[in-house]
Amino acid sequence: MLTWVALLALALFSGATFFAARRKALASVGGRPVGLHSLPGYYGGYVAIWVAIPAALVLLAAAGFGGRLEAGLLRATPAPSVQALDAQQRDVFFDDAVSLSEGRQASESVYEGALKSALDSAVARARHLKSQITYGALASALALACAGAGFAFPRIRPDFRARNRVEGWIAGLFILCSVTAVLTTVGIVGSLIWESWRFFQSVSPIDFLFGMDWDPQIAMRADQYASSGAFGAVPLFIGTFLIMIIAMLVAAPVGLFSAIYLSEYASPLARAVVKPLLEILAGVPTVVYGFFAALTVGPLFREFFNGIGALLIGGGLDGLGQYLSQVQNQMALVAGAVMGVMLIPFVSSLSDDIINAVPQSLRDGSLAMGATRSETVKKVVLPAALPGIMAALLLAVSRAVGETMIVTMAAGLQAKATINPLDTVTTVTVQIVTLLTGDQEFDSPKTLAAFGLGLTLFAVTLTLNIIALRIVQKYREQYD
Amino acid sequence: MIHQSDEGPGPATPGDAIKIRARGINVFYGAKQALFDVSLDVPEKSVTALIGPSGCGKSTFLRCINRMNDTIAGTRVEGRVELDGEDVNDRSIDPVVLRARVGMVFQKPNPFPKTIYENVAYGPRIHGIATTKPELDAIVEKSLKRAGLWSEVADRLQQPGTGLSGGQQQRLVIARAIAVSPEVILMDEPCSALDPIATARIEELIDELRNQYCIVIVTHSMAQAARVSQKTAFFHMGKLVEAGATGDIFTNPRDGRTQDYITGRFG
Repeated sequence: MLTWVALLALALFSGATFFAARRKALASVGGRPVGLHSLPGYYGGYVAIWVAIPAALVLLAAAGFGGRLEAGLLRATPAPSVQALDAQQRDVFFDDAVSLSEGRQASESVYEGALKSALDSAVARARHLKSQITYGALASALALACAGAGFAFPRIRPDFRARNRVEGWIAGLFILCSVTAVLTTVGIVGSLIWESWRFFQSVSPIDFLFGMDWDPQIAMRADQYASSGAFGAVPLFIGTFLIMIIAMLVAAPVGLFSAIYLSEYASPLARAVVKPLLEILAGVPTVVYGFFAALTVGPLFREFFNGIGALLIGGGLDGLGQYLSQVQNQMALVAGAVMGVMLIPFVSSLSDDIINAVPQSLRDGSLAMGATRSETVKKVVLPAALPGIMAALLLAVSRAVGETMIVTMAAGLQAKATINPLDTVTTVTVQIVTLLTGDQEFDSPKTLAAFGLGLTLFAVTLTLNIIALRIVQKYREQYD
Repeated sequence: MIHQSDEGPGPATPGDAIKIRARGINVFYGAKQALFDVSLDVPEKSVTALIGPSGCGKSTFLRCINRMNDTIAGTRVEGRVELDGEDVNDRSIDPVVLRARVGMVFQKPNPFPKTIYENVAYGPRIHGIATTKPELDAIVEKSLKRAGLWSEVADRLQQPGTGLSGGQQQRLVIARAIAVSPEVILMDEPCSALDPIATARIEELIDELRNQYCIVIVTHSMAQAARVSQKTAFFHMGKLVEAGATGDIFTNPRDGRTQDYITGRFG
């Protein structure tokens, strides 16, 4: 609370120095901004930055790490009676001291005699430390703000290059933001690799990548059934691949043809209506597609196949009829088809951009040869756009492989190595979800298997994306 | 509105048959009118140059002849363009057939991203001119020879046409156009993207092609018009100001604007 008030005060103070510095800069050239190296606002900004940034960093550091500093200092000087406690009890003791000092509920531990008085003195010391840290931070923030003003204010002269300095700070801010994104990615990949490595300590990568048996349920107690667990991921890869193929069979032709229609045949009016509609389709959350698949498409498909099965029973195709009449809601076909619908706008919008990038001069050249519009599209425009379209399809594949929600709700959970689209299958992403949801212990292979799957998935999608981007780059160079 | 006068504006070069007869052409891009009542005769087996400052409508007129204006949404063409006495805007005329008779070469070389061979074979293939591979080979070779490119590309017909130099690409495009044996070749500033040496080669080529085709060329270069053409038409602000034998236009222009333009006073 105090920190926020202090930050607000700091903002006001730095705002005031902005105007003061601006005024001083203007005054130094008699009110004519032409005499200044930079625009007056840059002088104000320069001083305001020096006032605000260092002081704000101190305040934020105190807010973020003050508690840890307090606990560390508290533990540094334990009373003898506390030293006698074992490590776990000591942790509880200090946590209680901090909690009590802040007026919160302590644990249910009972402290008596020497411990009781040690606790009382620890609580008092915690309060003392806390106020020391808080006021220390406030005082040093105030000192830094004043020092910043004292440093920056006198430097304002007409020939001072304030713009370059301020732009330097701003460039620093941009670098910080991009570094944050990069470091986050590195961190995610690092943790993925580290946890996967731990997983591969207990399960051999060969068994994982080539094993045909997926049954990650490890017994909690030795007397339970299925105590070993099996981590052969091939059924998951097959399931993922099957659903991806079905999805692409839907998305590739529909998306590509609608892109051709939009870029080559649609009147401006039709384009103005159809393109936004397709983009709305792209904005539907995947979970909505998921329950659409599970609650609408699944039963529809099941009834359809059951109906056909009922017709076939007793006839020459009795076996097939029996099978079809028992098809369930959850099948690869449903998940794949709905995922394909989800990918249509993705494919069509990317392909539309790529087809539009084919120079008009090529179309003119072909039309002027007496080619019809369809010949022009088939023989000139599409071949020219083909590399880009391939890249768009690869990006769509990588999305299909990584898609989670639709398959979780519509594909099923049974790991079966089948390529029958009417069967229930499971995918890599679905298994990651089931392995990690609910209460988990983070040292069993069952949980760690999720990281092994995640790493595999990441490797596949990364490769696909790199290939796709390479193709797109090469294609761009062709016309520049 | 159809302007039915048989009298051509300006004398055609004597002794030549008329290949294209345009009468009362008005072209509108949306609400903007780009051509105003243009009437022009284009003689057979000769080169006609269209000159004039940028935006004067000379390219628009060119695109009326093979109906390429149809491909731009919101364009409206009025008037009559006769090719051998037949109105190209008539409902019975299929623009696809028309464009096989009237080839076109554009300002920027636009070879298709295919091999040199496939670029030239494109037209004969889509029009079904050649049915067997040897026939097609013969057409490709003949067209490339006529475009003066054969000796440079004979050993690399299977390489991409986009890999040629700008001047070679433009000659490839001309070879592509003549592969379907058109009667007329329209050229829209064919040398504006080329260096002087490549330009000289194209001009030589145009001069050779004149014996077989009716050529209409839009150019910004007065010198080029004087070098390659037998008839010249001067356009200004969407109107045809003056047309006549090239020698007459350049030595003895009748209109003050033509005089100003060819002497470099504007444009």
